[in-house]
Amino acid sequence: MSLRSHVGVGAAVALLLAGSAAWAHHNMSALFDFNDRVTLNGALSKIDWRNPHIYLAVDVKSGSEQGQTWSVEGPAPNFFRTRDITKADFEGALGKEVVVEVSRARDHSRSGLIRMLTLPGGKVVSACPQNC
Amino acid sequence: MNRTSLTTAVLCSALLLVPSLSKAQLPRDPAERARVVAQIMEANARQLTLFDRQGRQVSTVGTRDLYNQPVFSPDGTRMAVVKPDLEKETNDLWVIDNASGKSIQLTVSKTRENAGSPAWSPDGKQIAYVALRDGYFGLHRKASNAQGDEELLYKGSAPMTLTDWSQDGKYLTYFSTDLSGGRLYALPLAGTGERKPIEVFSSKSQNQGPRLSPDSRIMTYTSNVSGRFEVYAIPFDPAAAPGAAPAAGPWQLSDQGGTGMVFWRKDGKELYFLAADRAVMTVEVTGGATPQFAKPKLLFRPPADIAPGLGPGNASVTRDGERFVIAVPRPQLRQLTVYDRSGKVVSKVGEPGFYNQPNMSPDGTRAVLMRNDPRTGNVDIWTMDLASGKGTAITNDTDPQNAPIWSPDGKQVAYVSTHESISSIYRKAADGTGEAEQLFSYTPGAGMVLTDWSSDNKFMTFYTGVIVLVPIGNNQKASERKEIDWLREEYLAGQGRFSPDNRYIAFLSNEDDVDRGEVYVRPFDPNKPDAPLAGPAVRVSKDGAQGMITWRQDGKELYYMTRNWEVMAVDIETTPTFKAGTPRMLFSLPGPLPGNALQWKNVSPDGQRFLFAMPTNASTQR
Repeated sequence: MSLRSHVGVGAAVALLLAGSAAWAHHNMSALFDFNDRVTLNGALSKIDWRNPHIYLAVDVKSGSEQGQTWSVEGPAPNFFRTRDITKADFEGALGKEVVVEVSRARDHSRSGLIRMLTLPGGKVVSACPQNC
Repeated sequence: MNRTSLTTAVLCSALLLVPSLSKAQLPRDPAERARVVAQIMEANARQLTLFDRQGRQVSTVGTRDLYNQPVFSPDGTRMAVVKPDLEKETNDLWVIDNASGKSIQLTVSKTRENAGSPAWSPDGKQIAYVALRDGYFGLHRKASNAQGDEELLYKGSAPMTLTDWSQDGKYLTYFSTDLSGGRLYALPLAGTGERKPIEVFSSKSQNQGPRLSPDSRIMTYTSNVSGRFEVYAIPFDPAAAPGAAPAAGPWQLSDQGGTGMVFWRKDGKELYFLAADRAVMTVEVTGGATPQFAKPKLLFRPPADIAPGLGPGNASVTRDGERFVIAVPRPQLRQLTVYDRSGKVVSKVGEPGFYNQPNMSPDGTRAVLMRNDPRTGNVDIWTMDLASGKGTAITNDTDPQNAPIWSPDGKQVAYVSTHESISSIYRKAADGTGEAEQLFSYTPGAGMVLTDWSSDNKFMTFYTGVIVLVPIGNNQKASERKEIDWLREEYLAGQGRFSPDNRYIAFLSNEDDVDRGEVYVRPFDPNKPDAPLAGPAVRVSKDGAQGMITWRQDGKELYYMTRNWEVMAVDIETTPTFKAGTPRMLFSLPGPLPGNALQWKNVSPDGQRFLFAMPTNASTQR
């Protein structure tokens, strides 16, 4: 049982499941390659702060993806609310530089799954263990 | 959904949902937090129990706790186990002395990090494991007496599961799976510098649990290549070219399903595995370079009432094959029980079984439910007559099914079935006849919890944190049907339930308090299902809810379950506008109840009868 799929109180539980995660919209490994990490430096240009996953747009300012806009996906808003990180923290970062480490989409589109995000003030937001 | 609902309806679920406690987020209110922790313990704690080869219980080790993945030390005197820390949201490794039950903590993970998948070194002095550290998964090892620091052996990015440390001490074997398939690896431990794993075998199937024979010439593993998990073996050649096909095999060792727990005896002449029906099996091994595997023999059957709660992650074997440990869960049997409005038991339906999610038919005479067959391990959908207890299979296959609901006229049932990572909604005649009709197919890898079927036959609802409508009142093919996000907001929402006149949808959400779910109602227009929602939702519950939202057939009363397992009723007026009365408790049940209250629709049309799958200790024939 991997740590990712490990049900802490009973691996057997997972074995009996019907393929439906509690609130998960999709199995992340279906869309994203966890072995392919990309770090993006750019301006946060858009926020969609809704369930089942938040989406951010990042206008990349440096590196090989400079000038491109990436769509990156994060955990549900509840994930952040219970970590005392609010939508306002992200709204305050609009237009400012962020650093986002993502797992790249398997279709190699300019999209990824957020693993780690650094807000303009230096606050680091980890999406682990959900997205790791 | 709020943490309470998530915990009681989801974490305590035995059959329906899959969140990890390592990812659990507890409520912040101390009293609420303590209550939720107590419920998690009650529902999920396991007793480490030792059995001999005949299946006789030899002893128990320590006290009940949230143990998982027990693995014996090579001399059989200790066990490494995984135990979550609910407060820190971590999983860590502990080493327990089998005689005294005393334990020491081996790993100390930071908040929201994890360690698991223990494997002992051949001399018992070290334990290797997988740990999530600073956003990376890695293979680590540490002294089994917990002294010293952990040593990183290999750093990876994707999740991995360690299954063994070869008996010659040369390799760690592990696997990694995702929807693209499963890969088996061996990590050479000799030498210095960066270690490079050997990819031993990969395919589009879910290949798991690699273990090397004591001479490291054979690798056993499980795979679902045939449609269900079986045990296989291949030659292990560390010098083979990457991606090369095995020189021989794979040889199939099991013949009636093999879920895992494949351990070799230290002399290499016997191996063990857990069959699909959770029986402990043994296979005799003869020969050298070309091994001969005898037909599997039954060693023993674990207690019947725990079978569905037993998996390869809950059991292991000593190296001499004389002792087996099972992390025994609370009894998994349930008695379908009908209550009246005062909480008095009206009837018990049939014999106890491995049932979950019983939902009552529109006429109140039958149930549709999930049934786990202990002989096969399959979960299928059944209907059951509440008077006679006679059951009818709706599905009978290896694909997992969940979330059954009734059609408005009671002639059909619908459910979710997942095949090769794609979940679909099907409907079929409630008497089990005819073919199932696929109504809707969702994004690959995405799950659904089906919650309702509108009385005008135009829509179904499911939830994913969002309440989603599936239009079914047309002749479209499943692949052509497009879902509608009816309620997709910053807060979580689930269990959308149509009012009998289809003018409203009741649902659970944590809009007002992130730590608490409440029942709300919003207007619904079947002619404009994708229209923006107008105005605020009307809150119906007062002090938290966790599901079981059900309208009485006349639309004048609504039911739900509180976080304290109280069945509540609320008077409802829908004309000229929606109005809810003060919730009143009808009766309470001893929780935590198994299953997911966010899918229950278990009230008779007149609101006089309530159906639950109640945990029972009664034994059953296998």
